[in-house]
Amino acid sequence: MTALIGGREITRADVEDFLYDEAEILDAWKYDDWLALFEPGARFEVPATDWKGESFFESGSFVTDDWDLLRARVKRLKSRKAHAENPPSRTHRMISNVRLREADEPGLLRVTASFIVHRARDGEFDAYVGRYDHLLVPGDEGLRFRRRRAVLGHEHLTAGARLSFIL
Amino acid sequence: MPGPDGTGLPGRLVVEDWDALTFRVNRVAYRSEEVFQAERDRIWARTWLYLGHETEVATPNDFKTRTLGGRPLIFCRDADGDIQAWLNSCPHRGTILCREREGSTKLFQCFYHAWTFRNSGDVAAIPGKDAYEAAGEGFLDSMRLRAVPRLESHEGFVFVSFDPDVPPLLEYLGDAADYMTMISQQHEAGMEVLPGTQMYGVRGNWKLGVENAMDGYHFSPTHNTFVGYLRETGFAVTDDDQYAYNLGNGHSLLVLTGHGGRISMLWEPRFGEDEKVRTEAHRAEMDRRLGPERARYVADESHILFVWPNLLLFDLEGLSIRQLEPVAADRTDVRAWQLAPRGEDADTRALRMKTMVSFVGPGGLATPDDIEAYEAVQRGIEATAADTRPGMDYSDMSRGMVDEVKGVQGRSIDEGAMRGFWRHWVDALGVEDGLAVSGDRPERFLEGRNVR
Repeated sequence: MTALIGGREITRADVEDFLYDEAEILDAWKYDDWLALFEPGARFEVPATDWKGESFFESGSFVTDDWDLLRARVKRLKSRKAHAENPPSRTHRMISNVRLREADEPGLLRVTASFIVHRARDGEFDAYVGRYDHLLVPGDEGLRFRRRRAVLGHEHLTAGARLSFIL
Repeated sequence: MPGPDGTGLPGRLVVEDWDALTFRVNRVAYRSEEVFQAERDRIWARTWLYLGHETEVATPNDFKTRTLGGRPLIFCRDADGDIQAWLNSCPHRGTILCREREGSTKLFQCFYHAWTFRNSGDVAAIPGKDAYEAAGEGFLDSMRLRAVPRLESHEGFVFVSFDPDVPPLLEYLGDAADYMTMISQQHEAGMEVLPGTQMYGVRGNWKLGVENAMDGYHFSPTHNTFVGYLRETGFAVTDDDQYAYNLGNGHSLLVLTGHGGRISMLWEPRFGEDEKVRTEAHRAEMDRRLGPERARYVADESHILFVWPNLLLFDLEGLSIRQLEPVAADRTDVRAWQLAPRGEDADTRALRMKTMVSFVGPGGLATPDDIEAYEAVQRGIEATAADTRPGMDYSDMSRGMVDEVKGVQGRSIDEGAMRGFWRHWVDALGVEDGLAVSGDRPERFLEGRNVR
C-alpha cells in the first residue's frame, strides 16, 4: 500500500516505522523527541468516549491541545512537579491495523491504526485501547504530525483513567 | 469495633477538639464497605441527587441512561415534553429496559418478553395480553414504568430522590440555589450542556473528590505545573481575597477572585485581543440586564459550588458540571459536562473548550494531579488501618479553626468548607457517638453568604 503525497511516494512501511518510532520514544519518556515529531501549529486530540464526530471547538473532550497547549503539556510532563506522572507510568504500546487513507486536504496523508497502550503504575495494570486517526505531512526529514488524534474504544474510562500520560 | 447502634459502624467518626483547635476525620470513612453501604442507605437513598441537565434531553423523546446511587435510570423527555426519570428496569422481571446510552424514542421495549412502554410510563403493549386480563383490570396499571419517587428541577438542573418524603427541592438547596441562578443569568440566551461527556473512574472514595474541590490549600503545591502555565500566559494567580462558605444542608462554596479570568465576563491576556472586545460588550449587557452589583457577583467571581451529595459546579474560566457516583468505598465514577451559553460566538466557544478541557478533565493539565491525590490518599491510609494507637487512623482538617472560633470568615485555603461537609456527613449517617466534641464548641458556625 502506497500513497503519493506532493510528489513523494509514501509506503505503509514508512508510516509503520514512523508510528513504531513514536511508540518507542513515548515508552522511553523522551518528550522533546516526541514534540519534534509534530510540525509547528499541530494539534493533539483525544475525544470523549461518547464522541460522535462533533467539532473539538464546540464540545467537551479529554484532550484538545493546540500548539501552545501541546508544548505546555510537554513542559509539564518533563517537570518533577507533574505529580500524576512522577514517578512516570510505565507504558507499553502496540500498534497494528495501519491504513493509509486519503486526506481531505492535498499534501496530507491520513493514517488510521489500532493501538493498545498498557500502563503500569501504583500496583495497577490498565489497558487503553482505541484507534489513531492522524494527519501526517511528508517532509524532507520524514513524516510529521499535523493532527495526532487518539480515539478510545472504551464506553467510558474505568478506574485508573487519568490521562496524564500520552495516549 | 461495632458501634453502639448495632450498625457495625464505629463511633468517633469525626472528632472536634475546641481546646486544641483540631478537627479530625476517622479514615475508616474512606475505606470501609460498611460505611459505604450505610451511605447508600442513609444518604444516597434519602436525599436529593443531581440527575442531569434539562438540555441533555432537549427535545421530546430524547433520553439518556445513567446510574445514580447504584440504580440504573432512564432520564428522558416524554412525548408531551415533560422531563421524566424512570427506573431502567422492566416492571415484569427487572431486565434492563433500555440498553442504549442515549437516543430518541417514544417507546421503550424490553427485549426479553417484548413488553413495551411509552416514555410517559404507560404500558403500550404486552404480547399475549389476554392471558393477564382474567386477573382484572388493574394489571396493566400495576405494570407502568416505575418512576423515581421525586423529580424537581431548578434553573435546568434536574434532581431526583428515591425517598418520597424529602422536602421541596428549593428548600433543600437553600442558599446554594442562588448560585445556580447566577449561572443561568450569565447569558441572556441561557446555558446548554454540550456534547462530549468526560466519563471516568478514580480509585478513591467519593468524599476525597468533594474535599479536593473544596480545598484551595492544595492548589499551589498540587497544581504547580498548571500554575506555572497560567503565569506564563500572563495571569498572576493569587490566594488573596478568596473565601470558603458553608451554605447549610451540606452544600458549600468557594469564592475565587484570584484564580483566573472568566470567558466572556472577565478578560485576561491569554484569551486574546478579539475576546477582549467581545467581553466588554457582553459585560456591558450584563450590567444593563442585571444591574451593576448583581452583574459583579455573576460575572467577576469564580465559584466552585458543591451541592450535597453528588454535584460540583466549576464556574471558573468556563463552566463544568461534575457528578460523583460512588461505586465502592474505594472507587468513584465521575461524569463531567461542559455547560455553555446558547448561540455563543464560535471563537469564544473554541476558547472556552480549549481552556476548560486543559484545566478540569482527566486529560487536562491539572485534574490528573487531583486524581493522583485522591488515589494516593486512598492507598496511603492503609498505613494506619486498625492502628490502635490513639488518633493514628485520623486525617486532619483543622486549618482555619483559629479564625473560626473568632467568627472570622474562612479563606479558600482553610479547611472550613470540608469541616462543614463532614459535620453534615456524620449527621446524615446518624451514627450514635459518630461526632465527638470536646471543649467549647461555637454555638453556631458561620453559614451562608449575603450577596443580595
